[in-house]
Amino acid sequence: MKAVIASEFLKARTVRSHWVLLIIAMAFPLVISALVGVFNPEPQFMSYRELGSMVTGTGVVSLLLLTSLWVINLTSEFTHGTIRVTYAAVPARWKVIVSKAIVGTAVTSVVMTVLFWSTFGVGAALLDGRGAPIFVTGWLSHTTGVFVALVALAVIVSWFGLGLGVLIKNSPVAIVVVLLWPLIIENLVALAFVLSGVESARKWMPYQAAIQTVDNNPGLNGTLGRPWAHLYFAAFALVILVIGIAVDRRRDA
Amino acid sequence: MISVEGLTKRFGTTLAIDDLSFDVQPGRVTGFLGPNGSGKSTTMRCMVDLDRPQMGTVRFSGRRYGEIAQPIRMIGVLLDASYVHPGRSARRHLEWLAMSNHLERQRVDEALSLVGLSEVAHRRVKTFSLGMKQRLGLAATMLGDPEVIILDEPANGLDPEGIRWMRDMLRYLAGQGRAVLVSSHQLSEIALMAEDLVVIGRGKLIAQEPASSFIARHTTTRVRVRSPQLDSLVHAMREQGAEVSFSGEATADDGALVTGLSMVEIGELAHSRNMSLHELSEVTDSLEDAFLAVTKDDQEYRSGDSQ
Repeated sequence: MKAVIASEFLKARTVRSHWVLLIIAMAFPLVISALVGVFNPEPQFMSYRELGSMVTGTGVVSLLLLTSLWVINLTSEFTHGTIRVTYAAVPARWKVIVSKAIVGTAVTSVVMTVLFWSTFGVGAALLDGRGAPIFVTGWLSHTTGVFVALVALAVIVSWFGLGLGVLIKNSPVAIVVVLLWPLIIENLVALAFVLSGVESARKWMPYQAAIQTVDNNPGLNGTLGRPWAHLYFAAFALVILVIGIAVDRRRDA
Repeated sequence: MISVEGLTKRFGTTLAIDDLSFDVQPGRVTGFLGPNGSGKSTTMRCMVDLDRPQMGTVRFSGRRYGEIAQPIRMIGVLLDASYVHPGRSARRHLEWLAMSNHLERQRVDEALSLVGLSEVAHRRVKTFSLGMKQRLGLAATMLGDPEVIILDEPANGLDPEGIRWMRDMLRYLAGQGRAVLVSSHQLSEIALMAEDLVVIGRGKLIAQEPASSFIARHTTTRVRVRSPQLDSLVHAMREQGAEVSFSGEATADDGALVTGLSMVEIGELAHSRNMSLHELSEVTDSLEDAFLAVTKDDQEYRSGDSQ
């Protein structure tokens, strides 16, 4: 299994488009944070909570770019036919998909950690220099909570993207479905339940539940709260991934 | 040794492979022939567990493909040279493949050198010609120094030098005791390199036998005769029970094609009748003729009459 993980890691880092996505994902929040730090007209109203929300907002864009990277990393194998070379080399197909998930989890965790703290650090340093109340009592525990929630969300979304990628196999369609899932698919499902009389349906939409708790106080606005929302979404993403692996095992490559 | 037993594969209502059984012996190049759509590529994909057959088994020295822990070390497969990420370099393509099966990186250099791609190993595959991709595919096949080699149309895109190189290499590899199964539409190439043939049509086995006996069984050997007294000679040959046909306008220049008499018998006959001979040669049909004769009822796609 270690050999397959190493092989998948090599694959992921030897395609230029992956690096382009990674650089954009890392640069975007940093640039926004620097701009906010320099040009915010009212820095005195920027607390660590507002800064955390800003980092989360831009971080979600980055995690979606990272997820797109992992989806492309998988689905491009179907597009270019390399999945046949891969499966001929590693006949236990589940090992390939699980290895991709492990590589995705590791890289996403490291990238999101660097991204979060560098973005927060740049913004905090610039705003603190302009008199913003950033480093006051409670900033560290709050920010750490947001950080853990954001990284966890990024990892879970990468599993979810991989699961959909295995099932769909087509890069553009898989990426669109992953990106639109919380906006359209879950809203439509929730609406159907609400119209059927299940008023609390929105709370149980896994992607939305997890994304809403990243920088909110847990349990507000009828959400599940941390860590339950993340665990719930993780279970849902893993179910999709396991279904994908099971389907892939039975079908022709 | 490869042993295919009762392989059956359906795509919806289409029966692509129908209870197919054959063996591929070590130390020999086996040509895998069949018309377009006859199921050659599907069979090869089933052999390495890429397609899931409804019935049947394929064993490599008694083991199923999925039971082999590091298959690259035992079986080299080239199904399509385009199965490479265009944005990755040739070296990187081989490196991830080697890494997945615990092969040393040194094997990557050896494989690149074997196929003559060392100079362009750092280049991205999208800059490669089809012939270079074929060579890269062959490098991937040879990465694990396998005892079984399966190649689907490996000569596609190769230039004449590349085709000769591939032919020589496959014969050399078979000479080392490896089992080589190679499909190709270039029947002249198969005729030059294959010792055994497996011929299929509409997913069914048509023939499995040595190439020489296949050609002998499904072709006719004739004798071409040219003589200034062709009419008299034809008359004499017919008296001896020969069948004579004419390759042109039945003139002395065009000559006649004779079956039922050997070259020696015709020579003796002409000598006894005091007739001159300008040509006496054996005309043997090719593998292509034999293949077309055997598969004439199994062609899925036919071209229209040219007239």
